Amino acid sequence: MRRWDIFCTVVDNLGDIGTCWRLARQLADEHEARVRLWIDKLESFACLCPSVSTAAAVQHVDSIEIRRWPSDFPAVDDADADVADVVVEAFACELPATYVAAMARRGVAPVWINLEYLSAEGWVDDCHRLTSPHPRWPLKKTFFFPGFTPKTGGLLRERDLRSDRAAFDHAAQAEFWRSVNVAPRTDDELRVSLFCYDNPALPELLQCWIDGATAVHVLAAPGAATEQIARWSGIALPPGTPLCRGSLTVQALPFLSQPNYDRLLWSCDVNFVRGEDSFVRAQWAEQPFVWQIYPQTEGTHLIKLDAFLTRSLGEGDRAFNVGVGQLASSVGAPLEDGEKIGWADATKRCWHAWNDPGGEHTENMASAWQSFIANRLAIQRHGKLWANQLDQQSDLANNLARFVQEK
Amino acid sequence: MSVKIAGDIQSGNVIMVENAPVVVLKAVYNKSGRNQAVVKVRAKNLFTGRISELIYKSDEKLEGVMLDKKDCTYSYFAPPMHVFVDSEYVEYEIEAETLADLEKYFCEDMTDVCEVTFYEGRPISVVLPKVIVREIEYTEPATRGDTSGKITKTAVLKDTKHELQVSSFVEIGDKIEIDTVTGEFKKRCN
Repeated sequence: MRRWDIFCTVVDNLGDIGTCWRLARQLADEHEARVRLWIDKLESFACLCPSVSTAAAVQHVDSIEIRRWPSDFPAVDDADADVADVVVEAFACELPATYVAAMARRGVAPVWINLEYLSAEGWVDDCHRLTSPHPRWPLKKTFFFPGFTPKTGGLLRERDLRSDRAAFDHAAQAEFWRSVNVAPRTDDELRVSLFCYDNPALPELLQCWIDGATAVHVLAAPGAATEQIARWSGIALPPGTPLCRGSLTVQALPFLSQPNYDRLLWSCDVNFVRGEDSFVRAQWAEQPFVWQIYPQTEGTHLIKLDAFLTRSLGEGDRAFNVGVGQLASSVGAPLEDGEKIGWADATKRCWHAWNDPGGEHTENMASAWQSFIANRLAIQRHGKLWANQLDQQSDLANNLARFVQEK
Repeated sequence: MSVKIAGDIQSGNVIMVENAPVVVLKAVYNKSGRNQAVVKVRAKNLFTGRISELIYKSDEKLEGVMLDKKDCTYSYFAPPMHVFVDSEYVEYEIEAETLADLEKYFCEDMTDVCEVTFYEGRPISVVLPKVIVREIEYTEPATRGDTSGKITKTAVLKDTKHELQVSSFVEIGDKIEIDTVTGEFKKRCN
């Protein structure tokens, strides 16, 4: 059984630790790995995983050894015993110097992996699995890029994820709503999950939902989404108490566990997601979703956003339409003519409006939303095809385990 | 030895990798979204001749190699070697394979002062000036109404036939400045 050390720093959100926690569990559950997860901010982790103690320097949760990563990382005396066989620095965090020195002293050098952020850009294919020799120590670090093609490290996908998703029926959904204290859904409402960074386009979208003819029930994630809605409405939004305005009902959710967040994505008609972890889960949910990418200065995030849109919609627009058309016909619900041409364009417009409000070529959020929702069924069918396509590729944990095995 | 920041590496630089000097044949800088900037490097080991592809975080501190350098100008191509000449008309030959990333800018009447690097007396690499001027041989006419320069189009350089993206207002016969590190169009010369 190989020992893995995963190092994770929480920068300003929960996505990094969310991804590392999933990876750690999957490596342990499916690849017989003995995993230590080093985290600098246990307080953030405890939001996702309430059984984590914020006080303990060492603890075990779900067979994972969790260690507080102190800023003054101690000297490592016994390199062979204290350094793992595989060392993962998640999202290019800087490993403690004393630990790196110990890696170099180890009898057999560990497999050192820099796990990067997810991107659909083409250069990622060329950089995946390239090595970076250490300038001073006899160590080599391999860059591992998650991604959407077989030339990348793939996406996190637990072995049972898709079968669990497929088995999630109406009864399971009703039970889920009960478990999180949300009213059962009605036939004529649109249910939307909202997980976002502070977003200038949100007030316009909320107003659009208020004024619309369809009842919209928004389930807002804790943090920026709930806080921005509270500021906008002038009313505090504690979990469980719905706010109703016009056709809109907003309800704040408590922190959900990762399995329950998946169920939320599976249960809603449209999911607004952000960052990396929820973005990946939304794709496996096979429901229409709108991604808010982590905003960067100089607009570099918009390049990354468009790279994903191009990869998932653009290049295959025609092919996907054929595929979607065949799938739709096979289930007895052939596409209308309008659906055949509009869904990809509607997706792009809505994602741009959500990510680049006020941009030179950006449509206003309300009208972009109307197009998106008018194409919802076609977008959903595409999402199913896209998930099936991604499912053909090996997943990230498996790719990592296989890479280590080859060493 | 000197410290070289990975993000500043360019073709022709020599760095130490695993105790061997390697000459950088190509360095491509990538940055997007939350991904930290990384530099993909194609490099040739000066001891073994082996070519490898490496990757570095852009802020990684690497070991640069102090080498002899001499200002030269490009002279001619005698396959498989490019020939440079110094101010005393001494010729230095460098393999085309080593200069593959720069060949798109080489032409026999170029006057750019190039920095030729020597390792143990042997010329091993060339660094072009950061900015060079080249003439446009062909490009499509400008898009009417656009004067912002934000819209780009493809242009072909005179002599080398290298294609690059230029602002839409650039015309045939114009001289343009090119950044040799990024390979990008900088501006039209007045």
